[in-house]
Amino acid sequence: MGETHNSEYAIEMLHITKRFPGIIANDDITLQLRHGEIHALLGENGAGKSTLMSVLFGLYQAEEGTIKKDGREVRINNPNDANNLGIGMVHQHFKLVECFTVLDNIIMGVEPVGALGFLQKKQAREKVIALSEKYGLQVDPDAKIEDITVGMQQRTEILKMLYRDNEILIFDEPTAVLTPQEIEELMQIMRNLAAEGKSILFISHKLAEIMAVADRCTVLRKGRYIGTVETKNTTMEELSAMMVGRNVNFHVEKQPARPGDAVLEVKHMTVASRVHNNNAVKDVSFKVRRGEIVCIAGIDGNGQSELVYGITGLEPLVSGSILLDGKDITKASIRKRSASGMSHIPEDRHKHGLVLDYSLEYNMVLQTYFESRFTDRIGFLRRKNIRQYSDRLIDQYDVRSGQGSITPARSMSGGNQQKAIIAREIDKNPEVLVAVQPTRGLDVGAIEYIHKQLVAQRDAGKAVLLISLELDEVMDVPDRILVMYEGEIVGELDPKQTTQEELGLYMAGAKRDEVKDQ
Amino acid sequence: MKKFLAVLLTLALLLSAASFAVADEAMKVAMVTDYGDITDQSFNQTTYEAAKAFCEANGFEFQYYKPASDSDTDRISSIENAIDDGYNVVIMPGYAFAKAIVGTVGENPDTTFIALDVSEYDLQDANGTAKDFSWVYPKNLYSAVYQEELCGYMAGYAAVKLGYKQLGFLGGMAVPAVVRYGYGFVQGADAAAAELGLKDVTMKYVYGNQFYGDADITAYMDTWYAGGTEIVFACGGGIYDSAGEAAAKVGAKVIGVDVDQAAIIDGKYGEGITVTSAMKGLAATVNAQLTAIKEGKFEGGKVENLGLVSEDPDENFVQIAPSTQFADGFTKDDYKALVAKMFAGEIKVSGAIEAEPEVSAIAVEYLGNIK
Amino acid sequence: MRKALKNEGVQAFIASIFCILLGVLIGYIVLLCINPSGASESILNVIKNFLYKKPARQMKELGNTLAKTMPLILCSLSILFSYKVGLFNIGAAGQYVAGACASLYAALAWGWGWLPCMIFAVVAGALLGSITGLLKAYCNVNEVISGIMLNWICLYTANTLLTNVKESTSPYTMYLDKINKSSLLPTLGLDRVFGNNENVTIAVPLTVVVAVIVWIILGKTKLGYELKATGNNRNAAKYAGMAQNRNIILTLAISGALAGLAASLLYQTGYMRWECTQSSVPAMGFNGIAAAFLGGLHPIGAIFSSFFIQHITDGGQYVNTNFYSSQISDVISSVIIYLCGFVLFIKLTMKKFLSKKDEQKGAKQ
Repeated sequence: MGETHNSEYAIEMLHITKRFPGIIANDDITLQLRHGEIHALLGENGAGKSTLMSVLFGLYQAEEGTIKKDGREVRINNPNDANNLGIGMVHQHFKLVECFTVLDNIIMGVEPVGALGFLQKKQAREKVIALSEKYGLQVDPDAKIEDITVGMQQRTEILKMLYRDNEILIFDEPTAVLTPQEIEELMQIMRNLAAEGKSILFISHKLAEIMAVADRCTVLRKGRYIGTVETKNTTMEELSAMMVGRNVNFHVEKQPARPGDAVLEVKHMTVASRVHNNNAVKDVSFKVRRGEIVCIAGIDGNGQSELVYGITGLEPLVSGSILLDGKDITKASIRKRSASGMSHIPEDRHKHGLVLDYSLEYNMVLQTYFESRFTDRIGFLRRKNIRQYSDRLIDQYDVRSGQGSITPARSMSGGNQQKAIIAREIDKNPEVLVAVQPTRGLDVGAIEYIHKQLVAQRDAGKAVLLISLELDEVMDVPDRILVMYEGEIVGELDPKQTTQEELGLYMAGAKRDEVKDQ
Repeated sequence: MKKFLAVLLTLALLLSAASFAVADEAMKVAMVTDYGDITDQSFNQTTYEAAKAFCEANGFEFQYYKPASDSDTDRISSIENAIDDGYNVVIMPGYAFAKAIVGTVGENPDTTFIALDVSEYDLQDANGTAKDFSWVYPKNLYSAVYQEELCGYMAGYAAVKLGYKQLGFLGGMAVPAVVRYGYGFVQGADAAAAELGLKDVTMKYVYGNQFYGDADITAYMDTWYAGGTEIVFACGGGIYDSAGEAAAKVGAKVIGVDVDQAAIIDGKYGEGITVTSAMKGLAATVNAQLTAIKEGKFEGGKVENLGLVSEDPDENFVQIAPSTQFADGFTKDDYKALVAKMFAGEIKVSGAIEAEPEVSAIAVEYLGNIK
Repeated sequence: MRKALKNEGVQAFIASIFCILLGVLIGYIVLLCINPSGASESILNVIKNFLYKKPARQMKELGNTLAKTMPLILCSLSILFSYKVGLFNIGAAGQYVAGACASLYAALAWGWGWLPCMIFAVVAGALLGSITGLLKAYCNVNEVISGIMLNWICLYTANTLLTNVKESTSPYTMYLDKINKSSLLPTLGLDRVFGNNENVTIAVPLTVVVAVIVWIILGKTKLGYELKATGNNRNAAKYAGMAQNRNIILTLAISGALAGLAASLLYQTGYMRWECTQSSVPAMGFNGIAAAFLGGLHPIGAIFSSFFIQHITDGGQYVNTNFYSSQISDVISSVIIYLCGFVLFIKLTMKKFLSKKDEQKGAKQ
């Protein structure tokens, strides 16, 4: 790049302090982003990453500290100011219009308009195609957003920033929604962007990704600035210690499993898809025994969700049967399954797991409110009992929230929301625990905690069915791995004897066994 | 309690003092609307315009009141508001006021009430005494009803004389006033046909069962006009909309009702579409009664059945409109002659509504209600 | 003080008051634009309503306003009950018509007493509500669409049926007090309190009791817990094994029952008679929407907001017609009621403002 810069840094946030009542969200934080570097921002949930980015984006004003762009002090009062300074952001949840094409989404808000007010899409299309070739962002400009993969949607978001000639690109947890292959592609794109002179802020708590792609990493903890390190001079262990303030054990400590009788038996299960006309789950059979953790692995969208819907009763089966403790529950209602000893940690805690507008205590009894300990004979809630119960769970499972039992679930952090769900589901003392991506979007500390809970359930003689997309989790937590590919189980692996590479081959459909009907 | 009584007494004194004062002072005239508004092109509007003009000419205060809802309770409330605001004459147009009249007239002896189109039956029925007719009309109440059969007769007579042979009658609801219009219309057309020696005059007769036009009634009228009907007497508030709309499509005619509707119907559906209107003298009644009160000649305590009072058509309480399209078949002089004969009793028109009138020269097809 | 401001209830109250004042102000400006000389007097009269009357008639007039307030309260309860469950029961207007039709028909054609008539109205409203519920639950028909359509079906069905019991010479149904006195709601002596106004009946205490019951059901019972969970997050309710379809149908049935009761409590006072030729659904059901929002979607709030709305509506008749045409009164009360719909918006703005303040306060520390 032939550009000359006044300063070594594209953006500097110097000594930023931002207070909320009772909380100092950012306490004297300094973040310096060099031209053309990939800079990771690492921290647990609640460490102050979002607040810091909101300050940079003009959503909040810091009480103390200054922001410099290219060495010159600037004031960012609102997102428009940020845009004008060339700061763009890919949000964790994409902000795209589903029924518009990729091109329409990219040019939205900055549409090239001719003299008579007609759209001049041709030149826009040329610019988009040029950009996508330059940075290796493969998209079909005329495809509708609703028809393309999550990875493509993300590339659309990136193109949106590039189309607006943004120089500073913020990626907010960009890999949370991607498959391993897509993550690899994204990393390559980010490297291309940096090579072309763009400066990238990469918000993440996935250490491996940071090590793989970032040049430097700034770590925040509890609103405080911990330090900035060069990734080539550090290790994952060091980063995680900086992030959580202690050494974290990545490896799940557990004894060898001592499986007992089968608790959950799935026989020839077929489940229809809500999206397409084919069946999403095809003739799947397996068992989960007491004292073992079985993990369904696979790339997202290979029928895992539907498999869970079928088991938990959210969707009816096309054919096949399900046995819980030897009893046929194929046609049983969700509540009946729950009462018979099935707990379900749902994939999407906001969609299924919580009523966000309810208080924490009401969410704690979401599966049990109708029991006589919480509802009297006339139908009135026993609110005192609910409060006591909720207080106990909060205490026992270390669920943190602003106001305890009466905190609105919406105002809690993701990790604590998940902890509340886990507390609720485990405290039901189930025979089988179905945990679907229980650590999705959580930080290292929370992940460690949840894995411990799953193992504890196993050791207490329960059956645990884990559905996971995270390779580390698949390799570490379960006692058996079943790989799902296109609605079928294509392999059964022993995590102690397999490798990530072998697992990847199964997941990608490159290898399959005839899995014997157990 | 004592205090309360004292206050009450003082109030009563004040009130009575006030009412005496009002009696000596100038008239203050209020009008209460029925379910419609003062822009209804009908009862409310005619009454409003007449009363307002009278008060402006004489320098009296005038105001109209619109009840909060279409209910007797709220009509009573509005009448009380007018009285409380110091108005000593209250005009109420329309039969809907019967119950409100019974509920207020007796309690407000210092206020003069003028009701239009509220019949003896309406009042007795509202008082719950319709069977024995025992309610005594208070002296401060005057109600006017009209011999609609007379102006209906004139309109029917004029229509046939003017050369229309296929007639139609579209009534609003079959309330007594509308039925009298209709039966008068039948009798008038029959008499004219007999005079002219015509054998081919026909009439279709129907009620819309509502006082406004809508798509259903327009469709019904379309079939009439398409089947050869030349003129329809649209007899009921705004029901002329249906007749007028249908007539305009084929260049046929309509007859208006209650007030001179030529301006409004022609304005909406084309110049010359309204041949005549059968009119009640609402404005004349308002003028006559207000004048009487002003001059201290008011005679209350009765329901007056107004009709012909003179040979001169313009002085009567039932007429056909001045805008009538007089022509050779029926000239202004013919109209005067007809009124003179009716006033003299040479022509008798039956006001009975129990049975359909007998006809000798025309064929009438009674079709009941459209819906 | 600040703490009080953060309380949801206090916020709703302040927002409502703010909306009312804003509505009155805009109404005043409208009047000023049309004719400045009568504006102040007229707007004051609107706000005074029954107080405009001579003292001796005030109680009676207040009784009239109360008689019309009770059905409005029930309609707003109907709206807010379903709203809490995430359903927008615009069909309340039609359920109200069904209630009116049922109670009047039973009273006039069959000579039933007041209680059976009232129960019949409640059942009719509930049945109609459950039709909307069934369509929603099993065919996924949007409740707003089916509600609006059913409103019209109901209106014309009621017109047709009630034509059998209408006066021969007018489009109105016959007087209850003439045909069947036993169908009139008992006054419990309340009429004497309100200047012998026989429109003030058992409806008043009954409505308040119903409002309290709705409040208790929503706030304190298992049923309320389930219904609100369904309303807030349908998927979570399903996940928790709640009978979703049953809840949707039950909600709309209860909502319909409330609207049906509303009609019964108005028509069985004899205050209004049904006009068999009316071509639009009575506004009561729709006004319930405004009342529900003005009342902060709280059952007890609905009592006060409904009274206020009816108060303003009735006050409209005191606009001086020498300065303004009578339609203006409708415009003024509509403006005020319309602005009542902004309560949620104001509440949100207030929250934002408070958090901004907090930020600034944080800055000073």
